[in-house]
Amino acid sequence: MNREFQFVGMPRPQIEGPDKVTGRAVYTHDLTRPGMLHGAVLRSPHAHARIRQIDLSAARAMPGVAVVVVGTDFPDRRYVNAGPQYADRHAMARGKVRFVGEEVAAVAAETSAQAQAAVSAISIDYEVLPAVLDAEAAQAADAPAIHDKPGLPRNVAQESIADFGGIDAAFAAATHIVEGTFEHGIVAPVCLETNGALAVFDPQTGNMDIWAPTQAPFFVRKEVAYVLDLDPEHVRVRSVAIGGGFGGKSQSPEPIAIAAMLSKLAGRPVRILLNRQEEFLSGKSDHAKKMRVRSAVAADGTIIGRHTEFWVDNGAYTHMGPAYISAVRQRTCNLYRVGAAGFDGKLVHTNKVSGGSYRGMGAPQIIWAIETQMDEIAEKLGRDKLDYRIEVANRAGDQTPQGWNISTCALTECLAEAGRRIGWHEKKNSMPLNRGIGFAAMINPSVGLLYAEGNFACVSIDLKDDGRLRVGTQSADCGTSQNTVLAQFVAEELNLTPDQVDVLHMDTKETPADLGSAASRVTFVSGNAAIKTAKAFRAELTRRLACLWSVPADDIMFADGISSFGTDNARRIDLADAAAQVGTFRVEERYDVDMPRPDPKTGYGDYAATYGFGAQAAEVEVDPTTGHVSVLKVVVVQDIGRVINPLALDGQMHGGVVQGIGMALREEVVFDGGVPINASLITYRAPRIIDTPVIETAYIETDDPSGPYGAKAGGEHAINPTPAAIANAVAQATGKRFRKLPITAADVLCALEEERSLPIKPWIRPYNMEIATARALYPKILFPGLKKLGAAVGRKPRPANGHDYERPSDLEDALVALGRPNRKVKIMAGGTDLQVGLRQGVYAADSVVDISDLSDLKGIMIGDGVIRIGAATTISELTEHEDLLRMHPMLSDGLAKIATRQIRNVATIAGDLAQEKRCWFFRSGAQCYKAGGVSCPCYAVLGDNRHHSVMGAGRCAAPCVADAAPILTALDASVVIADYAGERRVPMTNFYRWSGETVVATNEIITAIEVPRPNVAHTQAFEKHAGWDGDFADASVAVHLAWQEDRVIKARISLGAVAPLPVRAKSAERALAGSWLTDSAVRAAAEMVIAGALPLSDNGYKCNLIVNLTERALRKNRDQRA
Amino acid sequence: MVKPLVGPSIEVNGELRVADVDSTMPLALFLRDVLNLRGTKIGCGNGECGACTVLMDGRAVCSCLIPLGRARGRKIRTIESLGNPKALHPLQAILVEKGAFQCGFCTPGVMMSLLALLESNPVPDEAEVRTALQGNLCRCTGYVKLLEATMTYIWERGHEP
Ligand code: FES
Ligand code: FES
Repeated sequence: MNREFQFVGMPRPQIEGPDKVTGRAVYTHDLTRPGMLHGAVLRSPHAHARIRQIDLSAARAMPGVAVVVVGTDFPDRRYVNAGPQYADRHAMARGKVRFVGEEVAAVAAETSAQAQAAVSAISIDYEVLPAVLDAEAAQAADAPAIHDKPGLPRNVAQESIADFGGIDAAFAAATHIVEGTFEHGIVAPVCLETNGALAVFDPQTGNMDIWAPTQAPFFVRKEVAYVLDLDPEHVRVRSVAIGGGFGGKSQSPEPIAIAAMLSKLAGRPVRILLNRQEEFLSGKSDHAKKMRVRSAVAADGTIIGRHTEFWVDNGAYTHMGPAYISAVRQRTCNLYRVGAAGFDGKLVHTNKVSGGSYRGMGAPQIIWAIETQMDEIAEKLGRDKLDYRIEVANRAGDQTPQGWNISTCALTECLAEAGRRIGWHEKKNSMPLNRGIGFAAMINPSVGLLYAEGNFACVSIDLKDDGRLRVGTQSADCGTSQNTVLAQFVAEELNLTPDQVDVLHMDTKETPADLGSAASRVTFVSGNAAIKTAKAFRAELTRRLACLWSVPADDIMFADGISSFGTDNARRIDLADAAAQVGTFRVEERYDVDMPRPDPKTGYGDYAATYGFGAQAAEVEVDPTTGHVSVLKVVVVQDIGRVINPLALDGQMHGGVVQGIGMALREEVVFDGGVPINASLITYRAPRIIDTPVIETAYIETDDPSGPYGAKAGGEHAINPTPAAIANAVAQATGKRFRKLPITAADVLCALEEERSLPIKPWIRPYNMEIATARALYPKILFPGLKKLGAAVGRKPRPANGHDYERPSDLEDALVALGRPNRKVKIMAGGTDLQVGLRQGVYAADSVVDISDLSDLKGIMIGDGVIRIGAATTISELTEHEDLLRMHPMLSDGLAKIATRQIRNVATIAGDLAQEKRCWFFRSGAQCYKAGGVSCPCYAVLGDNRHHSVMGAGRCAAPCVADAAPILTALDASVVIADYAGERRVPMTNFYRWSGETVVATNEIITAIEVPRPNVAHTQAFEKHAGWDGDFADASVAVHLAWQEDRVIKARISLGAVAPLPVRAKSAERALAGSWLTDSAVRAAAEMVIAGALPLSDNGYKCNLIVNLTERALRKNRDQRA
Repeated sequence: MVKPLVGPSIEVNGELRVADVDSTMPLALFLRDVLNLRGTKIGCGNGECGACTVLMDGRAVCSCLIPLGRARGRKIRTIESLGNPKALHPLQAILVEKGAFQCGFCTPGVMMSLLALLESNPVPDEAEVRTALQGNLCRCTGYVKLLEATMTYIWERGHEP
C-alpha cells in the first residue's frame, strides 16, 4: 500500500489532553450522585480459612448503614472469566476464604467513615486452614486443597503439554544443550487510580448503570449481569476517564459487582473506591512463575529445539491464568527460529492474590529466560551475541513450530539497528569497568485469537446535529491515546481533520460490542473496524445526498468535510448542513479477523493475522559499592507495521520500558504467610523519575497488509524485552548471571562480594550468643509459642476512632495540652508519619497537638558555639539554609535524601528522629513484639528480613531509618527536650534506648536540636543506599573527621539502618585517630564497623553494604581534605 | 486553655473559604468533597504518590497529609487555579502537545510540583526538575516526555524575545 497520508503518521496530542492537564477530566473517583452511599469491603485476614459464622448484627445497627452483604446474598454463580471450565470464583467469598484480602462482606453507608466503621464491627468466626503459598509445593499430594477440582492433580487448574516437531529428537541430536531455571515473583500493575465503581440501580426500570475504571466494559457487563443474575440488556457500563490500566483493570474487577449488588439492595447509588493497600491486596497482579528452559543447539548454531517446563502461580482464583500459560508457550515456540518446541506447563493455585494480566502477560519474564540462554549459547559457540541473534532471528515467510505464519517481519533489521544505536560494535571490546550492554528481542501476536470474543471489533460513527462525527467504541482508553488514534483513522479515511471527530469510549449502550482494550489489540482490530465504518459512513452520507439531490451517488464527492456534486454550488454542503437536510444518522460496522483459530487442544496454529517484532538494547552501570544498577540507556527498535501516531506510540514505548526497568530491578510483592507486606507505594518500588534513562525509539515500518493502514499492535511491545536486555547487560557488567527477578541491588552486591569474606565476629558482643540461641529456637518453638501467647495476652491495637485536633499558639499551651489527664495525646510536627500511622493503627491518640507552626520551635540560630535548630524546622528549611550548608554540608546533603520534596516541605527534623519504626511486618498489622509487647514474637526472624537490623537486634529487629539520626550522632549533636518543669539536653548517643525507642516521655516535647559549630579543621560525608533516592535507607553512614594537618585526630562514625538505633562504630573511630587515612587504613577501619554483626537470613548484604559505604564516606572525607 | 485557631478560613485559589468541618480531615478531601475541587487526585492517601500535590504558602505539599486544621489561615493553590481547557497555562499547553501524560491521573499533582519549582527557581536544570518530581509517581509515561516537555518549556521561556 503506497499512499500519502494526511493524519496517519502524524504526532497527534491526546483528544482528552486539555481536560486532563487542567484537572477537569472526570474519573470514577470524582463521581458523586444525589443520595449516593459509600461502600466498604471487609477482607479476609487469612490466606486460607473456613468461614464458620458471620455476625452482621452489630454492623447493621451502626449509624448510617443502609445495607450489608455477604457472599451468600449473591446468586450462587461464579465469574465466567477464562471460560466455564475455569469458573471458580463467586462475587464474594462463600464458605471459605482463599487469600488475604478476599472480599467477605460489604457495607453501604451514608459516609465512607460510617461504612468503614460498620465493616470493622462485622465479626467473623474463621477456622484457619493450612495455606499453600508456593506453586511447586501446592502440587504435592498431601498439600491442602484450595478448590475441589476433580480430574486434575492437586491444586492444578490447567495443564498444558505439547510437542511441536519432535522435541526429544532435537535434544538427542544437539551438539550443545543449554539449560537453566528461572523464577520471579508477583508484579503489581500500580495504576495511579485504584479500582472502584459507582453503581446506580434504578428499582423502577431495573437498569443498572456502572461507571468504573475498566479496560473491558464488555466483560464488566457480561460478568456483572451474570453474577447478579440480571438481564445484560439492563446493565450499562458508562464512559469515564481511566487512571491507567496495564492489564490491572481488564476482566471485571470485583468491586464493580459488589457495588452493583449494594446498589441493587439499597435502591440507591453506591460508590466503592479501593484504597492503595486494598489495591495491592485484591487487585489483579501479574503471576509469579518458575521456568526450566532448555535449548538444543546444533554445531552451526541452529536452535533445533527449545523446551520450557513451567509452573505458574495462579493465585487463589483463575482469571487470566490460561491466557498467561498461552503467552509463555508462544514465546517458547516462536521467538527466534526454533526447529522443534515443547512445553510442559502447569497453572497452580496458591493462597495468594489472583493473577490477572499485567502488561506483557508473562512474556517479559519468559523472554528474559530465553534471552539469557541466547547469550549463553552465543558464548558457547564463541559468537558475537548480537550477530548470533541476527542470524537466528525470525524472518518473513517463516512458519514457526507452533504453526505461526510470519507474513511481515523486520526483526533482523531491528536487532541490527538496536546494535548500531547503542554502539555495540565500537564499544564491545572496550567496555569500561562495571558497564554492560544487553540485547533482547520479542514477538507479539497482533491481536490474539485467544478469547472467544477476541477476533472482532465494532465501531460506530454518528453524524451529529452540529456536523461533528462521533466515533463510538466499547474499548476503553486508559490513557494510551487509542481514542485519538481511532479519530485519526476516521479522519484519514474521510479526509476530515481529527478535530471534527469526537470519540465516545466504553459506553455499552451507546457504542457497539467489542472485547475491550487488552493485549494491545485496539489499534489493530478496532482500527480496522474504524476504517470500515468510516467507509460505510461515506457511503451512507452519499446515498442520502444522492436521494436529496437526485443525482447518482457515485458522482458525489466528499472531501474536507464537504460533499459536492460537480461544480454545482447548490449541491455543495458541509456536514452540519447535511445533518440538517438528510438527518443525523449512525453507521456501525464490524471487523472480523477472518481466520481459523488455533487448535484448542494443542494450541497449534496462527494466533493472529500478523505478528509484531522488536529488539532492545540496554546499557547499564553497576555500582560495586552498593550493587545498585543504573540503567543508562535503552534503545527500542520496533517493527509494528506502520506508525499511526508517533507521539502516542513513543509514550507507550517509554512507559513500557520504565515498567520493565521496575520489573527487572525492583518490583515484587513480598508476602509473609500470605500477607503482602509491602502493600504501599513506598515499600513497593515502582520506578520514580530518577530512574528514567535515556530512551531512544526507532520504528522500522513494514506496512503490514492486514493491519489498518499497515499498522500492527504495539502497547505491550516495549516492556516485553526490557527485563531481558537489562539482565543481559547486568550479566556483562558483573560477570554474573542472575536467575531470579527482580535483580535487586542486594543480589548484585552479594554476587560481587561472594569471594570476599568480611571479618564478622559476632562473639565480640556477648549477648549475640543469647540471640543466636533464641533464633535457633524460633522456627519450632519460640515463634509459634509467642504467636499464640501474643494472640491471647498481647496488647491489642486500638481501633482508629478518630481524634481531636489542637493547634496551640505557643509551647506552653502545647505542654498543657500534653499534660491533660486520661487522654492519650500525640504531638504532631510534620505529621507525615503520625497521620499515616494513626490510619495504620501504629499510633493511637485521643488528641493530636499540632506544633508545626509554633515559632518557639522553628528556625535555625547560629550561635558562637552551637547551632540551634528548632524542632519543628522542616527538612526543606534545613536543606535550603546556606550557612548550615557551609558549616555542616553533611546535614544539608544528607537531609536532602529524605523522602520527596512534598514530604520535606512539611516533615521536621525532630519528626525524622522520632518517627515510628518502618518494619513492614509491624506496619502491615502483624501482632508483633513492637505492636503487642513482650508476649509477641518478632516476625523478621523468620520472614523476609532484607530491610532489618544486622546488629544489636534483640526482641525487635526493626532498624532505625531516620537519616538525621546517624548524621546528628556523628556531629555530636544533642536533643533538647522540655516538659512543664523545664528543659533537658540529651546527647544523640543517649537519645534512643537500645530497642530504638526514644527517651522522650509522654509529657515531653522535643524543642530543639543543638549541633556544635565546627571549631577545628574538619571534613564530613554522609552515604546512604536505598531502593530509590528518598526511600528509607538499607544502610547509611555518617563520617565526621577532625584533622591536624594530614592526620585525623578525631573520628566520629555513625551507622544508620543497620541496627535499632544509630550505632557509633567506636573501634573504627579509635583506629582512625592519628591515622593518615591511607587506602589500607580506610578499608581496615571500614571493615571494623561490622565486627559485632549477627545478620538474619536475608540481610547479610547489609554487612557488605555498610562496610563499602563507610569506605566510600571515608574516602570522600579524605578527598575533601586534599 | 488552648487558644482559638488562627482563623476559620482557608484561602483557596485566592478566595477565602470557610473550613468549619473536622480539623483532622485531610485537606485533599476538603478540597474534593467539600469545595468540589476534584482536580486534586488521591492515589494513595498516605503521601506516597504525589497525585494530591497542591501548593501551601507556595510550597508543594501532599494535601492528603495536611490536616485541615493546619491549612487554616494559609494560602492553598490547586490545579483549578491554572488554565482551563479552553485557555491552558503555557506549561499545560506544552505538556499536552508533547504527550507528557497518558492517563492523566498524576498530572494535576505533577503540574503543581512543577509550578512550585518554577516559582522558586525559574530556570532549573534537568537534575533539579527530577528532584522536584521525585515525589510524583507516574506509571504511564516513564517520565520521558514529561521531562522533555518541562525542559522545552523552561528553554522556550528563557529565550522569549
Ligand atoms: S494521594 Fe497524597 S500522596 Fe498519594
Ligand atoms: S499519566 Fe498515568 S500515571 Fe502519569
